[in-house]
Amino acid sequence: MTAPTAPPASVAPAGDVQAPRPVPPPAEPDARRARATQSFWTAVVGVPAVFSVLRLGVEAGGELQTTLLLVANVGTVNLLAGFLTTAAALLSTALVAIFALGAVLRVSVERMPPGTRRPLFARWVDSTPAWFAVASFLLALVTWPLLYLPLLLPAFVAAFQLSPERLHEQRAPRLLLLAAGFAGYLWLLAPTLLDAVRQGETLALMLLVVPPVVALFVTGPLPAAVTRPLASITEAAVLAMLVWAALPVITTPVLPLTVTTVESSPGVMEDVRGHVVTVDDVDVVLLQERGGVRYLPIGLVRAQVLCPSEDELPRRQLRVRDFHVEDSLLGGLGRRVRPVHRIDAACRTVD
Amino acid sequence: MPEVSPRHRLRSLATTLAVAVTLTLAAAAGCDNRREPPLPSVLDKLHESHVDGQAKIKIGISETEPLMGALRDGAHVGFDVEIARYIAASLGFQGDQRIQWVALATEDRIPALQGGTVDLVVSSFSMTEEREKLISFAGPYFVTTQEVMVPTRLRDRIRTIEDLRRPELRICTSGGSTTEAELEKHQVRAYVVKTVGDCVRGIRERRYDAVSSDETILAGFLSQYPTEFEIVDMPFGTSELLGIGVPIGDPALRDLVAFALQKSYLEGRDGISSPWLTAYNRTLGPWLKAEKSQPQPLHVPKLVDFDDKAPRR
Repeated sequence: MTAPTAPPASVAPAGDVQAPRPVPPPAEPDARRARATQSFWTAVVGVPAVFSVLRLGVEAGGELQTTLLLVANVGTVNLLAGFLTTAAALLSTALVAIFALGAVLRVSVERMPPGTRRPLFARWVDSTPAWFAVASFLLALVTWPLLYLPLLLPAFVAAFQLSPERLHEQRAPRLLLLAAGFAGYLWLLAPTLLDAVRQGETLALMLLVVPPVVALFVTGPLPAAVTRPLASITEAAVLAMLVWAALPVITTPVLPLTVTTVESSPGVMEDVRGHVVTVDDVDVVLLQERGGVRYLPIGLVRAQVLCPSEDELPRRQLRVRDFHVEDSLLGGLGRRVRPVHRIDAACRTVD
Repeated sequence: MPEVSPRHRLRSLATTLAVAVTLTLAAAAGCDNRREPPLPSVLDKLHESHVDGQAKIKIGISETEPLMGALRDGAHVGFDVEIARYIAASLGFQGDQRIQWVALATEDRIPALQGGTVDLVVSSFSMTEEREKLISFAGPYFVTTQEVMVPTRLRDRIRTIEDLRRPELRICTSGGSTTEAELEKHQVRAYVVKTVGDCVRGIRERRYDAVSSDETILAGFLSQYPTEFEIVDMPFGTSELLGIGVPIGDPALRDLVAFALQKSYLEGRDGISSPWLTAYNRTLGPWLKAEKSQPQPLHVPKLVDFDDKAPRR
């Protein structure tokens, strides 16, 4: 990634479009850089691929034959699209964390004695093009719940080391610009903040107010005493976060949940709740919510409704300008396009 | 290591703090994201309620009150019936094939709920303190007043409550109703029969002279015999809050019914057509003197539902 604040490169190998480095490179810089690049891209491509396969196994209820049925029927594109819709937020969180921490560590390391081993995240940041970091932040912007979006500001400022001085070289206009920015932000959020105070939502209040303030101070190098432990702790923490947050993502279904009404014998209706694996001109293949696969002859299917899942229930009653704080920008915009979402009665009783 | 000025030291201390605060907030956000919803959901309440898992919901209604609950060509029609259908659908019982209609006389409503013959009663059921000791109410879903209906031949003779006290007049009402108690309070002696329909039939056969009941029920019979009867506005003074009767032992079901009524109330208030408004316009609306709107239900629980994130405007 090219850091906008970094001084011009002293040594840049021919054809190298990556980050300039003011510190004299340690031994075998190219080999190390190549390894970092490789490990980064392996993680970016490999983690989603492994997740997608893992979650199919989980979705199938651990049954080998069911997993094979899913593998046979869920195409690569569907799987990838399903993964992106459910895991985009997690993926962008991991990337944003790596870029923000990596950039902070990088500027900190630059002040340390030459030859100090650069932390992993800093090396990853070195070897990633800037457009990829920007794309990750954009992905986070549209997929994170609105409540957590303010956190993206300090992360962005840290990742690109945008100190307030870059707004304007003189102090007075700079302060004016910052004040205007904050006033606009508060105006946007004022009703939400009042609501949060009324509901006693302290965490929501802090998540909305604190990050923009913190963003003013987040640039610049850390003291040497902090850099080293921070590097190792955050590496472990990001890994732990990935594992911890991956569990719900792996267990989020990739197939749509429906309730299908079948006339199992003349005049007798039966509701089957399950995920549709495939529909052809003979059967509807349902992966039942309680486990097991049902082949329902298509001639007996009388009705089918799409149902929401329990995970979609909101935790808070807060809104930002009528956008629910737990919706992402994309989700919120989607709700504007199709505002009324009625839940079919069948989804309520059958389980 | 290069010499660090105090200004730089302060700066890096601020950076450390800022990074620490950001990381802490991010961790807090992560933990918060995995938190269970603090409020119970509609589905939680459904699982608590005794109707969960039933193939059909048993709803007590009237079959003898035109416009409110009546049987026409084998089908149940009326305002109460429409409200009952809406409540049943919100509880997961969509369509008449999942509803078992149980015809109840006025005085049978409480015993039927207590005995488990029905899961709900939607049948011009006035919410009173005495009844709330025996059963629970969700609502009100309608506010009505007590009125008197007289045959056109007597419309000049019966105009006030005083007139009703005249011994030669035979006033009729249904048993176990709030009207019965109200008439007693005003020292009006009344013949108590099983249903208001019996009173109306009695008047047409000249066995009674007037019938007293809720405006809604009377409007129903007026719609059947518009030329034979007239409703006389009398200042009985009390307004009747009609509610949906629920067994007292199932607070979850009461909460769900109240929540469904509230949903309809909010839809109507926001200017969108609501299930209540549709039911009203199809049944009672054209027959009542004054335009009515859905009253706000009382004691509505805060529940989480899937459509909570939908835009409000």
